[in-house]
Amino acid sequence: MKIQFFDIENWKEIGSTLARNKTRTFLTAFGIFWGVFMLACLMGGARGAEDLLRRNFEGFATNSAIIFPNNTTIPYMGHAKGRRWQADHTDIERLRVLLPEMKTVTSQSAEGNISFRNGRHSFSGQVWGVEEGFTDVMLPEIESGRFINEADVSKQRKVAVVGKKVANELFPGESAPVGKTILVNGIAYTIVGIAYQTSEIQMNDRIDNVVIIPVSTFQKGFNRGDKVDVIMMVGDNSADFSQLEPKIRRVLYSRHQIAPDDTNALWYLDISAEFSKVDILFMGVSFLALFIGLSTLIAGIIGIGNIMWVIVKERTQEFGIRRAIGAKPADVTVQILSEGVTLTAIAGMAGISLACLVLGISAALTANETSTPRFQMTLWQAFVIIGVFILLGTLAGLIPAIKAMRIKPIEALNDK
Amino acid sequence: MIRLTEINKTYPGAVPLHVLKGINLHVERGELVSIMGASGSGKSTLLNILGILDNYDSGEYLLDGTLIKDLSENKGAEYRNRMIGFVFQSFNLINYKNAVENVALPLFYQGVSRRKRNMLAMEQLEKMGLADRAHHLPGELSGGQKQRVAIARAMITNPSIILADEPTGALDSSTSRDVMALFRQLNRQEGKTIVIVTHDPGVGRQCDRVIRISDGLIIPDESIKTDN
Repeated sequence: MKIQFFDIENWKEIGSTLARNKTRTFLTAFGIFWGVFMLACLMGGARGAEDLLRRNFEGFATNSAIIFPNNTTIPYMGHAKGRRWQADHTDIERLRVLLPEMKTVTSQSAEGNISFRNGRHSFSGQVWGVEEGFTDVMLPEIESGRFINEADVSKQRKVAVVGKKVANELFPGESAPVGKTILVNGIAYTIVGIAYQTSEIQMNDRIDNVVIIPVSTFQKGFNRGDKVDVIMMVGDNSADFSQLEPKIRRVLYSRHQIAPDDTNALWYLDISAEFSKVDILFMGVSFLALFIGLSTLIAGIIGIGNIMWVIVKERTQEFGIRRAIGAKPADVTVQILSEGVTLTAIAGMAGISLACLVLGISAALTANETSTPRFQMTLWQAFVIIGVFILLGTLAGLIPAIKAMRIKPIEALNDK
Repeated sequence: MIRLTEINKTYPGAVPLHVLKGINLHVERGELVSIMGASGSGKSTLLNILGILDNYDSGEYLLDGTLIKDLSENKGAEYRNRMIGFVFQSFNLINYKNAVENVALPLFYQGVSRRKRNMLAMEQLEKMGLADRAHHLPGELSGGQKQRVAIARAMITNPSIILADEPTGALDSSTSRDVMALFRQLNRQEGKTIVIVTHDPGVGRQCDRVIRISDGLIIPDESIKTDN
């Protein structure tokens, strides 16, 4: 006995049956097509959306915390409440020594509304004083030149890294004004680098709009003594910033004579906690996509099964005729299943193709110079989607096919 | 060609219906016979048994020397395909297939290639004088043309017998005459054994022999003079 499924004649017959019944074929195929398309878009789209969201956090250390000193709110050790206190390099040194799990303890200080000048061109914005460790916390994109280094800080050099926008305003038409001089509050600095940022996270302002100088030079230039505005810490993998918070508070509170229960005197921003919140959001998005996808899948399969059922009903007489002129029950079953599989495979491919196109366009529209969100499926996912549809489509077609197999030719022929 | 011996058939139910009560029937090779009977006489059931579309309870049915009894669905399908050509009152053509494809369909179930079966189907249609209608769908054909396509389909496997169930029932009188002439031609020229079930005496008169069935029994043979 020949195996009909692999018989070319059988496929020709199926091809002509599907081609002749265009409306029916189209309606069935469209259901499958749409199901596959939606599922593929959801899976690829969820991944792309996640990438889009994550892009906001690019260029910022995830396992990190930032300490902002605030005015005290509780009187303590003879000090009235509302006292202003500032962190300084001694704090930084102590944190470095007491917290060995820290990769970097560094600082940022800012002074706003400073005038920058180059000849007749001028611009105003913030000046930041930073150490070389700043790049461990926040990674600026260096367009040309370099960032502030250790020697700049230790030698109090009058060097500056200039934001891209500032550079464009002060040196219009010049692509890389590295080595040129910029006047900051009337004092000349040599430009060593041009920087910008792609991340959506900003500390005080975007790097594009500011001038960054060594912290030592900054402290001297703006009479800050040894003080810094904020302390930034990056931990290694073992560092858990939510557990470290009490310890960090103790180190600073004892030295600055702040009441141990005065939590408002220091704002402790645990970046890793913020990130894990976002991770939960991503998980939620993925779960939602999976849920909607599965619902689409189930609705699609029920649709296919329903259409198959109607088709078998509608074709009862045809199957009766076929049986009368010599079709075996298995011939009829194989015919229905093969038609279903063929339709599902073709419509599925079409759905995947259109989904790829849509995802590709989404990726192209959201791409920027540094990254393209992965609005895409893995090949493996595409195969699984089509495979699942073919499998479930076959199962959905199986019940009507078995029903059709049971049709006795006389019953079918009498059904006029 | 057809030999029925003491065929009994009862439809089970709350009140079992004994439809065929011991049918004895013998049709020779090359005969053109009609089976006539009122509705409820059991002639449809007899036709279904002759066509291997239905089983019988007791007795014996020999078709072309082959015992047809308690066949599996697959065996039944195979025998129908090779030994019986069906012609129905309502034509029973597949409406989305054109004339050639309809005629060729029985050969598909024999595993004949598309090219060869379409060629053979074309030959049959030419014999029926329908070569110019070969690529029309059934919906585009007249009743008489449809029935001739159906007869071509019945003939294509070169079956032992042609079974026709009220072949003129849906046709007007002039077309009926044409179709009957075609049956007679197939009978005379190709020696086909043809069994026509009908309630139309006009059809019966054109056959070699009329077998009358009443209340599940054959009424003894009544020879009909052929009208040449």
